[in-house]
Amino acid sequence: MATAMAATAVERAVLEEEFRWLLHDEVHAVLRQLQDILKEAALRFTLPGSGTEGPAKQENFILGSCGTDQVKGVLTLQGDALSQADVNLKMPRNNQLLHFAFREDKQWKLQQIQDARNHVSQAIYLLDNRDENYQFRTGAEVLKLMDAVMLQLTRARNRLTTPATLTLPEIAASGLTRMFAPALPSDVLVNVYINLNKLCLTVYQLHALQPNSTKNFRPSGGSVLHSPGAMFEWGSQRLEVSHVHKVESVIPWLNDALVFFTVSLQLCQQLKDKISVFSSYWSYRPF
Amino acid sequence: MRSSLQVVALWGKKAPSHSITAIMITDDQQTIVTGSQEGQLCLWNLSPELKISAKELLFGHLASVTCLARARDFSKQPYIVSAAENGEMCIWNVTNGQCVEKATLPYRHTAICYYHCSFRMTGEGWLLCCGEYQDILIIDAKTLTLVHTFISCQSPDWINCMCIVHSVRIQEDSLLVVSVAGELKVWDLSSSISSIQEKQDIYEKESKFLDSLNCRTIRFCTYTERLLLVVFSKCWKVYDYCDFSLLCTEVTRSGQFFAGGEVLAAHRIIIWTEDGHSYIYQLLNRWAQMGAAYKTFSGLSKSIYPADGRVLKETIYPHLLCSTSVQENKSLPFVMGYMNERKEPFYKVLFSGEVSGRITLWHIPDVPISKFDGSPGEIPITTTWTLQDNFDKHHIMSQSIVDYFYGFKDGAGTVVITSSEYVPSLDKLVCGCEDGTIFITQALNAAKAGLLEGGSLLKDSLPHKVLKGHQQSVISLLYPHGLSSKLDQSWLVSGDQDSCVILWDIFTEEILHKFILEAGPVTSLLMSPENFRLRSNQVICCVCSDHSVALLHLEEKRYLFCARKHLFPVRMIKWHPVENFLIVGCADDSVYIWEIETGTLERHETGERARIILNCCDDSQFLKPESVFSVASETHKHKSVEQRSSISYQFGPIPCPGLQVEASCKVADAKSFSGPFNVLPVKTRWSNIGFHILLFDLENLVELLLPTPICDSDHSSSFHGSEILRRARSTVEKKTLTLKRNKTACGPLSAEAQTKPGSESSAQGDNSVTFLEENDGIKRQKKMKSSKKMHPKPSRKLDANLIIDAAKLLLSCLLPWGVDKELDNLCIKHLNILKLQGPVSLGLASNEDQFSLMLPGWDSCNAEIKKDSSKVNLFSRKVLDLSNKYTSTLPNQPGMPRRLENNCDSLQESNTIVYLLRRVFLVNKLVNMPVELSCGIDSSFKMESVHNKVKNPGNDILHISSFYSYLRNGKNESHIPEADMSLLKLISCWRDQSVQVTEAIQAVLLAEVQQHMKTLRKIPINSQPEAMTENGNYEMIQIRPKMEWTEELELQCVTDNLPPQTSASLVKHDSNSNSANFQDNEDMPDRCVVEESESPGKPGHHSWIAKMCFCKLC
Repeated sequence: MATAMAATAVERAVLEEEFRWLLHDEVHAVLRQLQDILKEAALRFTLPGSGTEGPAKQENFILGSCGTDQVKGVLTLQGDALSQADVNLKMPRNNQLLHFAFREDKQWKLQQIQDARNHVSQAIYLLDNRDENYQFRTGAEVLKLMDAVMLQLTRARNRLTTPATLTLPEIAASGLTRMFAPALPSDVLVNVYINLNKLCLTVYQLHALQPNSTKNFRPSGGSVLHSPGAMFEWGSQRLEVSHVHKVESVIPWLNDALVFFTVSLQLCQQLKDKISVFSSYWSYRPF
Repeated sequence: MRSSLQVVALWGKKAPSHSITAIMITDDQQTIVTGSQEGQLCLWNLSPELKISAKELLFGHLASVTCLARARDFSKQPYIVSAAENGEMCIWNVTNGQCVEKATLPYRHTAICYYHCSFRMTGEGWLLCCGEYQDILIIDAKTLTLVHTFISCQSPDWINCMCIVHSVRIQEDSLLVVSVAGELKVWDLSSSISSIQEKQDIYEKESKFLDSLNCRTIRFCTYTERLLLVVFSKCWKVYDYCDFSLLCTEVTRSGQFFAGGEVLAAHRIIIWTEDGHSYIYQLLNRWAQMGAAYKTFSGLSKSIYPADGRVLKETIYPHLLCSTSVQENKSLPFVMGYMNERKEPFYKVLFSGEVSGRITLWHIPDVPISKFDGSPGEIPITTTWTLQDNFDKHHIMSQSIVDYFYGFKDGAGTVVITSSEYVPSLDKLVCGCEDGTIFITQALNAAKAGLLEGGSLLKDSLPHKVLKGHQQSVISLLYPHGLSSKLDQSWLVSGDQDSCVILWDIFTEEILHKFILEAGPVTSLLMSPENFRLRSNQVICCVCSDHSVALLHLEEKRYLFCARKHLFPVRMIKWHPVENFLIVGCADDSVYIWEIETGTLERHETGERARIILNCCDDSQFLKPESVFSVASETHKHKSVEQRSSISYQFGPIPCPGLQVEASCKVADAKSFSGPFNVLPVKTRWSNIGFHILLFDLENLVELLLPTPICDSDHSSSFHGSEILRRARSTVEKKTLTLKRNKTACGPLSAEAQTKPGSESSAQGDNSVTFLEENDGIKRQKKMKSSKKMHPKPSRKLDANLIIDAAKLLLSCLLPWGVDKELDNLCIKHLNILKLQGPVSLGLASNEDQFSLMLPGWDSCNAEIKKDSSKVNLFSRKVLDLSNKYTSTLPNQPGMPRRLENNCDSLQESNTIVYLLRRVFLVNKLVNMPVELSCGIDSSFKMESVHNKVKNPGNDILHISSFYSYLRNGKNESHIPEADMSLLKLISCWRDQSVQVTEAIQAVLLAEVQQHMKTLRKIPINSQPEAMTENGNYEMIQIRPKMEWTEELELQCVTDNLPPQTSASLVKHDSNSNSANFQDNEDMPDRCVVEESESPGKPGHHSWIAKMCFCKLC
């Protein structure tokens, strides 16, 4: 049967040599490349300890939408936290201008950015352990490492690409509504999230449903962006969304980070593929 | 997995890979628990001499295990909790490997601490968890539901590590945590219990930035109650617990990363690294070294409690005492731990687990080891062990189902099975090998050959086929007929490493077609669902490891197209029957839509839109190359939306399914697996090493062997009957009685056979078992062939031989061999079962997804058994005690058929087997029953006995005349249910005493077999006339409960009348030919006048049997 094997002895020797090169040299080269990319990504998140010490710098983002100018927001991002927010809302009925801002002493953590940042640093930590001196012995070992790194990177990316789907009561209960200095009017809800590379602010205007209303009350489920007409129960009141305003602004460094994630994920996959080519040869002999 | 499934694992020579990601030693220092990247947990026995031996493998997680922790006060309940990458949590009982509770929460934990405060808390305590989410979660340790969270007001972040501080001095339990950003936070624990229960917000009491990243461990020194050890990956620091002032810092040598640490004693700590080294330091006090003079001078009574922290700060510096290390063949990372919990003997143990699956133990001496010159010495390794060591040491146990193939190779070493598939309808196991051959063999016989003594004889006669056609290792197999009955039964599809797919005729061993895909290795073969048809036929989909997907049309033998554009591995395949689309979901969450007719790429979507596309195709039936895992993750996503939407989608795709193939089989099998015997190929991720599990469905086996509904009332009534029989026996002359019984028994038999032909046929099948055994494979093949031409459905109609063989194999596997040599021989002789070669690895199912499998060498974990090498497969010493207890409870229960003990024919044997299996089934059911239910059952048994009491006196046709018998009956009634109940009580009692199911089963089996064989020994063989034997055959075919009833009723008649001449006439009747007997039986229904039934429970049985008794005997 041995003759039936595709690889003859010579061929096998060549393959083994090639595989050894892959494990000893190529893997480390890819890992170094990965590390460089991820460090670059981590810089975008201004990870503490990643070189720039001291408090993260503040960035102002003016949020608007191309359609209307009913809502305008200026959000200040400091690392993964919103340190300041100014929201101007022009009421559609009476053109009255509402303005509310964050309390001075409070910051609002954008959990999506924090999670993405932490996932990246976990990935970097996984790679840090395997420097040039570390010798990979089996292909499976590389695959396992790549799987672990890819898991972190996928999660990091998914945190940014998939905002939480919240129900309206959850938005109402969230700490964000309590962040504003003149407290938010009871008929306004605010939500801030990241969607891909954009910082998004949604303002919901509500009106109470009359208890004897003929409208069929159906509480709406979780959603990233609720549409007008969505209903929910808050306290003892039944409320309905009357207007939705969504404004957004691109965060350039988030865009970079997403690109870095995609590139490094592809690098990981390519390395896995390279290892897999040899998979038939390390079924029982670890080399 | 259903609870009635009995599992036997055939491990093979190679241990499954177990890359340790978490390790712990239980508080009693008897078990090491490891969690693996593959998703399994392993229980290792740790002997008092610190020897390690693997015991069990626990299956349950679909993703890598992230952490393990104690889940109860260990002295009360030996429970641990495990958490996995995908949010699954399981609580396991480490003594028997059962999963007690499971839950999937949308959180990934990296550390868990068990907390219980007995005087302030009700319930089982809490699991304090941290991981890839903000702050701390409090999870109920019993129900695994989220109780509450600790939240931080200052810079909330993920928490890396934590520890609970029980301070005697301040009488308060606190939780100390360090966040990923290096922030130390303290929460009050014991004083916030009530606010947690009231779900108030609980913020941290203190918070301090530690100025280092990647914290690995935080530990409080309970000896001094003053020092706090915090280990970061690049340094470790000692803080003063009072004010968190830094006392000392030690950084790593270059290239090393600290992984953890522990306080050994006052001022002595141990620190370990990612690469498996550890260092023991003494924290020296400079001032104390100056001598007692300083002490008196400074007025400090104890130098460890100086007046203020600043003084202390000056005083501490680390001094290396000794170290440990591992050999150079390191594989990162090591997970290590330290424990010194044990009371007697008091071991201080440092332990480590490697990714390679190796466990290493160091016994840390109290006196540090140093070299001659006083420099730090190295502590030697005490023990080291891997799973593979277990397999090598106990190679007799690690039989693979295909071991005998080795014999067929021309001495060319071992054959590596790279894929396998079981075809239940043919009982064929198809194995693809590394060298490109495909073996097809009889699965049951192969298993027997591997497990049983003398099975080697089977090896030679074992029919097998070899299909040669592939040039490279065969890595995927598909039997299309198993998925769609419309397809040809002879077809088999195989795919190899070289991207070649072959369609075989397995009967003629011909190659029907060879498809060359010119893509990567064909990793899996799938078939389109029933509702998807291309030109009225289903298509085969080949998923290749170069991420391409090829479609084949089998009927037309046509290669449709190959979809090649995928950048990431294919995770999911869906079919759109209406629009003829193939929807491919990839690992990066992107979706590719291919038009099947033209083979063109219709669309490519990523992100949210891709997710929507995949979700909305849910109704169109879909197949997944990566099996349930995608389903799991999907349901998981939905679940997480419900549970806490703010972090839904936190887990994207989870590319870590441990045992995908197997898991999918499990799911499928719970629903569709209908046969009594099945073989499940299992393969672990990241390795080619696979093994097989044999599944025996007890319930199904019993059902097939004896087609009456099985219920407990049957049992009780049969006990009842037999009890009366026993009573009667003492009064009636033995011989007469036996003969009479033989006589009447013929009646129910054939009547039964008329109504249920199934029983007849299976019994006849039994009859021929022994003769057919050798050439049975060939015959069956022929049978299959003929059936193929006629296109009937053989699926459910399973071969009777197969059933009885499976039953025998199961009994062989369950029986303890070597307890009594004579008993063994009797078993082999009378039950016609073979002795085991070595102990078998049984499995235990906790529920659908969680189960455990014993590992080779589990028997050496019990110290007592190890010494006695003659005993094979004895689960524990306890079994013998239990068995004795059981025997003493049933001293007079003639549950076994005793009348024909000396008739060693196959019918009796099969009947005994059925009886034993039923017993096993009952025990299995009783022990597995949830406690709440069992109370109900107990009472229902009581009800039953009451029912019997009421029923029997009312049976006036029988009891009418005889005062004698009435008395007897009255006597019996107080008696019977007790004996019956006591057995059930005993078994229920075992459950409460946490006797394992396997132990209980084995104990009962042993007792029953002993009971049975005891009578065999007593009675000299061949003492009865031959005619009896013949009659016996027929009697034995009937269904047991009915027989008991007959016996009971009949006996009552006998006791009523007792005419000596009756016996004589009966002897005469008995010596009649078989045909005469049959005639009698056939006449019987006519003679049976339908009569008012006395027993409301079983009118059918009762009335006509009673009638018959009267007609024929009285």
